[in-house]
Amino acid sequence: MAHVLPATAPERLTVLEGIPAPVWGIGLLLLAMPALASNFVLFQIFGWSFVLGTIALSLMVLAGYGGMVSLIQMTVAALAGYVVAILGTSGVPQISLGWPWWLHIPLAILIATLFGTLVGTLAVRTEGIYTIMITLAIAAAFFYFTRQNYVIFNGYTGFNKVFPPALFGIDWRQPVPFYYLTLGCATLSYLAVVWMARTPFGLALQGVRDNARRMSALGFSVTAHRVLAYSFASVIAALGGILLVWQNAQVVPGTAGIPQVIDILVIAVVGGLKRPIGPFIGALIYALLSVFSSDLLLAFGMSGERFKLVVGLGFLAVVFFSPDGVLGLWQRLQARMERRGRDLRPGGEGAS
Amino acid sequence: MGTLQNLSTRHPIWTAVVLVLIVGLIWLIVAPWPPGLEQAMGRKRIFLNAILSGITLGALYFLVASGFTLVFGLMRNVNLAHGSLYLLGGYLGYGAVDLTGYWLLAFPVVFILVGALGLLLQHQVFRRMEGQELRQTLVTIGISIVLADLMLWFWGGQSYQVLSPDWLTGPMTLPLISSIRADGEAVYLSYPRVRIAILIAAIVIGVAMWLVLNRSRLGMLIRAGVDDRDILAASGVRIQYVFLAVFAFGAGMAGMAGLVGGTFQSLSPGEDTRFLLASLVVVIVGGMGSIPGAALGAVIIGLSEQIGLVYAPTYSVVFTFLIMAAVLAFRPQGLLGAQH
Amino acid sequence: MMPSVAGRLNAAGSANALELRGVTRMFGALAALTDVTINVRPGERRAVLGSNGAGKTTLFNCITGDFPPTSGTIRFFGEDVTNFPPHERIRRGLRRTYQISALFTGLSVLDNVYLACRGVSRGRFSLLRPRTGDALLQAAESLIEAVHLEAVSHRLVGELSHGQQRQLEIALALAGAPRFILFDEPAAGLSPKERAELIEILSSMPKHIGFIIIEHDMDVALRVVESVTMLHNGRIFKEGPPEEIESDDEVQELYLGGGHG
Repeated sequence: MAHVLPATAPERLTVLEGIPAPVWGIGLLLLAMPALASNFVLFQIFGWSFVLGTIALSLMVLAGYGGMVSLIQMTVAALAGYVVAILGTSGVPQISLGWPWWLHIPLAILIATLFGTLVGTLAVRTEGIYTIMITLAIAAAFFYFTRQNYVIFNGYTGFNKVFPPALFGIDWRQPVPFYYLTLGCATLSYLAVVWMARTPFGLALQGVRDNARRMSALGFSVTAHRVLAYSFASVIAALGGILLVWQNAQVVPGTAGIPQVIDILVIAVVGGLKRPIGPFIGALIYALLSVFSSDLLLAFGMSGERFKLVVGLGFLAVVFFSPDGVLGLWQRLQARMERRGRDLRPGGEGAS
Repeated sequence: MGTLQNLSTRHPIWTAVVLVLIVGLIWLIVAPWPPGLEQAMGRKRIFLNAILSGITLGALYFLVASGFTLVFGLMRNVNLAHGSLYLLGGYLGYGAVDLTGYWLLAFPVVFILVGALGLLLQHQVFRRMEGQELRQTLVTIGISIVLADLMLWFWGGQSYQVLSPDWLTGPMTLPLISSIRADGEAVYLSYPRVRIAILIAAIVIGVAMWLVLNRSRLGMLIRAGVDDRDILAASGVRIQYVFLAVFAFGAGMAGMAGLVGGTFQSLSPGEDTRFLLASLVVVIVGGMGSIPGAALGAVIIGLSEQIGLVYAPTYSVVFTFLIMAAVLAFRPQGLLGAQH
Repeated sequence: MMPSVAGRLNAAGSANALELRGVTRMFGALAALTDVTINVRPGERRAVLGSNGAGKTTLFNCITGDFPPTSGTIRFFGEDVTNFPPHERIRRGLRRTYQISALFTGLSVLDNVYLACRGVSRGRFSLLRPRTGDALLQAAESLIEAVHLEAVSHRLVGELSHGQQRQLEIALALAGAPRFILFDEPAAGLSPKERAELIEILSSMPKHIGFIIIEHDMDVALRVVESVTMLHNGRIFKEGPPEEIESDDEVQELYLGGGHG
C-alpha cells in the first residue's frame, strides 16, 4: 500500500503514483475500446459497468475506508436521478420544471448529497452493525414513498424520456459518446477516491475505521469524520445516479428498490472492498452475468430466468471462500506465484 | 420491565405525557363520541377499525420481529434472511392447509420445518463465522437472494391466500361502541374474528416468551448473553446449544408468522422484503434484544401504518419513517433498548 | 507547541505537573480508591505499583478523565481538571498509552504516528496531501526514530511483532508535544530483549516530559523512575525512591511475596 511519502522521494507525491501498474494498462485498453467492441457491448456492458461501478464505489468508500457498510448509496443515486427528472425535462411535463442543465444537474448532486449526509448523521450514532439495518430501512422508506407519492415523484409510473442535455451538439445517449461519458465520470470518481485516501482526512477516516476510540483520544472528532465520509460518498453516488437515469432514459421507484439496493452491495463485495478498483470489477461481472446468464442457464438445462439464483450463489461463494472479493483472490494468487517463484530460484528455500 | 421502571423514574415528564396520551386514547376508544367529535374526526367506526387493524397488524409484526430481535440481541447476527423465512413459512403453511385441510395443524408443521432450516443454518453456517458479524450478515443476504428465487421458481409470482378455518371466519361483535342509534341504542363494532384470534395468540405467545426469558434457566442464560456475551461464554455453559435453540426458535416463529400473514393478508414475492423491513423498523424503534421492546415497537409501527393508511394515504410511509428517524435521533438504542 | 503552553507554564510557576488531593472513587459500595493524594513535579518520573485490584487502573482512568473521582480534586499544571472530559486534558498536554495496544492496524507505522501528530494540531479535515518537508511529517519521522522503529516505518501495523506494536504505542503518546504521559503496563508481554529496549526508550525521553508508569514488572519500572508510589486496596501504602521501596520489608511481604508479581 502506498505511504504518505516514500522516505527518499524528492518531489511531491502525485495522485497518479497511487495507482498500480496493471490499472494503467487497462485504462489504455478502455480508451481504445470503441474501435474493438460493438455498440451493444459499449452501451449495455461497459456503460452499465461504469455506472454501477461508480455507485458501488461510493459504497466501497464508506465500507472499505470508513468501516461502515451503508445500503443508502443506491437511494442517493436514485434521488439524484429523480431531481434531474423533476427539475429538468421529461415525458411528464405536468411535474417537470424544465430548468436548464447547468442548474438542474448541480442541484441534483447537491440535494442528493444533503440527503446522504442527513442519513449519515442518523446512521453514525450507533454501533457499526446497525448501519446496515438503518440504511436499509431508510432506503425502503424512500422506495415506498416514491411509489405512493404522485405529486412530486409521480408514483408507480415515475418519469420517462429523461435524456442527457445535447452539449456540444452531441447526443450523449448514443453508444460511443455514452461510453466515453461514463468512462470519464468513472475515472474521475476513481481518481478522486484514490486521492482522498491519502489525504489527512482520508487517513483519519481509516484511523476511525481501525480504532475509533483511539482517534477520539488523539483529538479527532469521530462523528464528524464519519458524516463527512457520507457526504463525499454521496457526491459520487449522485454522479452515478444521474448517469444511470440517462442510460435508462427513465427513473421509477424500482430504480432504488430493495433488490437494486442489495445488488450494489453484492457488486462491491464481489469486486473487493479494499481497493477502489474492486467495485468496477464487481460491476463488470454483474453486467456480464445479467446479459449472458440466461444463455448460460439454458446451456445447463435450467430456465433462463434464474439469474438471481446465479447471483445469489455466486455471492455466497465469494463470501465463503474469498471475503475480500475477486481482488482478494487475485492478491492471494499473486502472493502464491511470488512464493513459488522464490522457491524455484536457485538458492531458494525449497518447495513449499 | 426493569427498563420501563428505569425510564419512568428518569424521565418523569415524558412518562406523564405518555400516560395522558394513553388515557386519552382509551377514552376515544371506549366512550361514545359526542357529535362534534364525529364531525372533526370522521366516523368512530372508521377510527376503531384503524386502531384495531393497527394493533392486530402490530401483533403480526411482533410475531415476526421477536425472533429477529432475539437472534440479534444474543448472537449479534443481523439475519437479513428473516423475511425469506417468513415467506417460506407462509408458503409451506399454505401447502399444509391445502393438503390436510386443518389450519391449526399447519402451525406446528411450519414451526418444525422452518425451525429445522434455521437449525441447519446456525449449525453449518453461522457457527463457523463466530464473531464475524459483517460476514454473517452478508451470508444472510446471499441466502435471502437464493431463497427468494427458489420460492419464485417453485410457487410462482401469483398471490396465495390461506383460508381461515370455518370456526374463525366471519365477524364477531366486540364490546366497543361504534355509534349510538337515533333511538339511543348502542351499535357495537363488528370485526373479523380471525384477526382478534391472532391478536390473542400473539399476546399469549408474547407473555409465554417473557416468562421463559425471565423465569427459566434458559431464559436467564439468554438474557445474560444479550447483556454481555463474554460472561455467558465464561460461564462454561455450552453456548452453542443456546445459540442453536434461539436461532431455530426465531426461524420457527418467523415461519408461523408467515402462515398468520398468509391468512390475514396474502403471500407473494416481495412479502419477504416487506416483513424483513417491518422487523428492522420494529426493532430499531423498540430496541434490540428486548421482547417488550419488540411488542412496543410492533404496536407503534402497526398503528402508525394503519392510521396513516386511513387518514393520510400518500404519507403513511412518511409517518413510520419519521418515528424511526426520531427514535434514532433522540434514543438511538431504541425505546426499550439497553444503552451501550 | 500550543501558544498558550508557554504562557501556562509561566503562570503555573512552580506548580506541580499533577496534583491529586483526596481522590476517592467508589463503584457502588466498593471503594476502588480512598483518599489518594499525590504530587508529581514537572519532568518527574514516577512508578505506581501494586498488586491486582490495588486501584492502579482506576487511578489512571481518573487522571485521564475516563470517569471523574467521586470526591477529591485533580490539578494538571495548576489547572483544576477534575471534571474535564478526556479531550480537554489531551489538549493541555496529557497523554496515555493503553495496556492493550490501540493502533490503526490497516495503516502503516508512519501513518499511525502522523495521525497522532495531526490530531493535536489544526486542519484536521484537510484534503490536501502533505508536501515534502511538511512539519508534521518530519515530526512523525523523528518520533519513529525515538522509538527505534525506522526500519519498519512503512510496514502495516498489523504485520508488526507485539514488541514493535508496544513501541509504536509509545510513539503515539509522544506526539504533539506532551507535557505528561501515563504509561499503562508498557512492558506487558515483552521479551527480555524488548524490555531492555523499552527501558532505553523510557530513559532517553526528553527531560521536560514527566510520566507515571503502572507496571507489574518491577525490573522495568524501578529502572526508569526516580520515585515510587505503592498502592494497596485503593490507598497509598508507601512512597519513596526506588532503592528504598525495593528493599523495604513490608513491600517485600505484601507485594513481592518472595518473587516477582
